[in-house]
Amino acid sequence: MVQIHTNTDMLINAREEGSAVVAEIVGDIDLHRSPDLRGDIMLVLDGRKPTKLILKCEQVKYMDSSAIAVLVEALQKLRVFKGQLFLTNLQPRVKGLLEIARLESIINLVDTVETALKR
Amino acid sequence: MELPSPLHLSFTSHPQEIAPVRHAIEAFATQARFGDVAVGEIGLCVNEAIANIIRHAYRGQSDRPIELDAGFDPELSRLTIRIRDYGTGIQPGPLPHEKLDPMKPGGLGLICLGRLMDSIRFTPQNPGMLLELEKSL
Repeated sequence: MVQIHTNTDMLINAREEGSAVVAEIVGDIDLHRSPDLRGDIMLVLDGRKPTKLILKCEQVKYMDSSAIAVLVEALQKLRVFKGQLFLTNLQPRVKGLLEIARLESIINLVDTVETALKR
Repeated sequence: MELPSPLHLSFTSHPQEIAPVRHAIEAFATQARFGDVAVGEIGLCVNEAIANIIRHAYRGQSDRPIELDAGFDPELSRLTIRIRDYGTGIQPGPLPHEKLDPMKPGGLGLICLGRLMDSIRFTPQNPGMLLELEKSL
């Protein structure tokens, strides 16, 4: 397992696990905090071509449309090299917004990081 | 629990203001006896409305005024939220199609307002815009 440096405390425990990159998002994500999340996600993808980016969202009780835009941008970057985006451990309020945004049709929503790694 | 007194918040268009305003309106809705899901929906809609003001009405300027008033009518069991800005006053177009392309999430905030509130109304002001949101128990 190779640890990956991030610049803020929004994305922690970033690491390479085989051909995947795994990290945990911490805290609520709104227009104020989404630029930091974007920066950290782009940082962990920089120079890498993971088959999966797995983001654990257990500590995200809230996200808004600016967070959705960041996730979609990450997916667009991953798709260039046929990578997939996984979100795990989603909180109920977050699931509601993802449903409105129809993200379940383009992003893999699974229960745990372990499940995502096995897919 | 007593029903909430009318709420008035005056704040600037800085993105860091969004979270405390969202928390305040969620507390107000909780006191008005909305359930957890509805409280989350109301908080999200206020969040998206303010984010749209910052992005579009004020074009990212972080020091412009925004005012929010909330009231609850116990006879009608109805929450009313009014959000006033002094920006461009450009009225949003029609609500984006609800089956939006998930790879192009622009307009998602407006979709949330349309889906999660009972009614939304934009009224141009001079200057700016008044947005009125309503949701019943």
